[in-house]
Amino acid sequence: MRLKIPFIIFIYWFETLLFAAEAGMPQLDSKYWFSQSFWLILIFLLLYLSLSKFFIPKIKDNLDDREKKIKDNLDEAKELSELAEKKSLEYENEISNAKKEVIKIISESKKQLDKNISQKKEQFEKELEKEINKAEKEILDLKKGSSKSINLIAEEISAKIIEDVTGDKLNNSSIKASVAEVSKNKIGKYL
Amino acid sequence: MATNPMHQFKVYKIGPEIKLGNVDLSFTNASLFMLISALTICLFLYFGSKQKSIIPNRLQLIAELFYNFIAKMISDTAGSKAKPYFPFIFTLFMFVLLCNMIGMLPYSFTVTSHIIVTLVMALFIFFAVTVIGFIKHGFKYLSIFVPKGVPVILLPLITIIEIISYLSRPVSLSVRLFANMMAGHTMLKVFGSFVISLGFLGGWLPLSFSVALTGLEILVAFLQAYVFAILTCIYLNDALNLHH
Repeated sequence: MRLKIPFIIFIYWFETLLFAAEAGMPQLDSKYWFSQSFWLILIFLLLYLSLSKFFIPKIKDNLDDREKKIKDNLDEAKELSELAEKKSLEYENEISNAKKEVIKIISESKKQLDKNISQKKEQFEKELEKEINKAEKEILDLKKGSSKSINLIAEEISAKIIEDVTGDKLNNSSIKASVAEVSKNKIGKYL
Repeated sequence: MATNPMHQFKVYKIGPEIKLGNVDLSFTNASLFMLISALTICLFLYFGSKQKSIIPNRLQLIAELFYNFIAKMISDTAGSKAKPYFPFIFTLFMFVLLCNMIGMLPYSFTVTSHIIVTLVMALFIFFAVTVIGFIKHGFKYLSIFVPKGVPVILLPLITIIEIISYLSRPVSLSVRLFANMMAGHTMLKVFGSFVISLGFLGGWLPLSFSVALTGLEILVAFLQAYVFAILTCIYLNDALNLHH
């Protein structure tokens, strides 16, 4: 029902509208046709000229500028990224070179060190042997010397002991002979 | 009668009467609104292209949007050969759009709701396209009336139909825009009158209709400008690229 009333009124209005259109559509009144055409052509022409000569080139310039700038920036970015890649490659190369060099240096110095050590060792060993030989000789000399002096000391001590014990003085040659005999037998045990 | 829905289409002269011989060329409200539309376009494009910024401001963005929209429309429908006609199509689209849109303002006048205005534009396009066709292709342009791949028996009939359809282009182009604008504005006016006549109690329904219609009419205003421009492009395409 609520919809019906506006509908009926609409129909009524539509009829009057149609009637009005029949009676007088201002569009069909030819009084101002020439005026409208004249002003339309004039204004449209002026608008066309101002747009085509002034505004459209300006907008086109703006758009082209932007596109160019974006393209330039992209190109530059690409160039820079290529450069960066190159640099990073260079850097990596340098690093790997340095690493190789380091390994070389390490191995070389290790060799050198080994060599030095072995040389020193050899030298040291030689010296050591020399010292040992010397010491052995000294000991041998000492041995030889000591057995003689031991004999002498033993002769003296035994002469004194015999003198103290017996009160007699034995002749040196017999003491010497007996000491020599004892030391020949026993001295090997202690020296 | 102010409530007459056709009253809004009345043309009356503003200022002195200008007569050229016997012809009345007075400045009218229609001329005024044509001028307003044109000036609005100029102003809009002026502020839309004033700054040369890489990141556009809003107006610049909209202006460039329109530019790209029309450029794409032309290249899609008429190809690259139609590039020289870009300023004309752009002007045409902007002019029709602004006339339609400014007509949506209350108490304004819709320039495009007059058959004579749309007819002048359509006839100009019709003759221009025909002249372009003959300049580009000479008398071969007449082959537009003889479609390819039609059986010989049907050919005379088809040719007659094609000629009629070609000749009716300005009529269909102008009447489409004019009728859409007039019908829309009449409807708005009629529903507006309902609101008044039905008063506070019953006026809400036509008011909501009116609101919805306003949205629809804004869409139609844009759509008709677009249709007008794209049909011009299609006609131009026929003239430029014979037998696509």
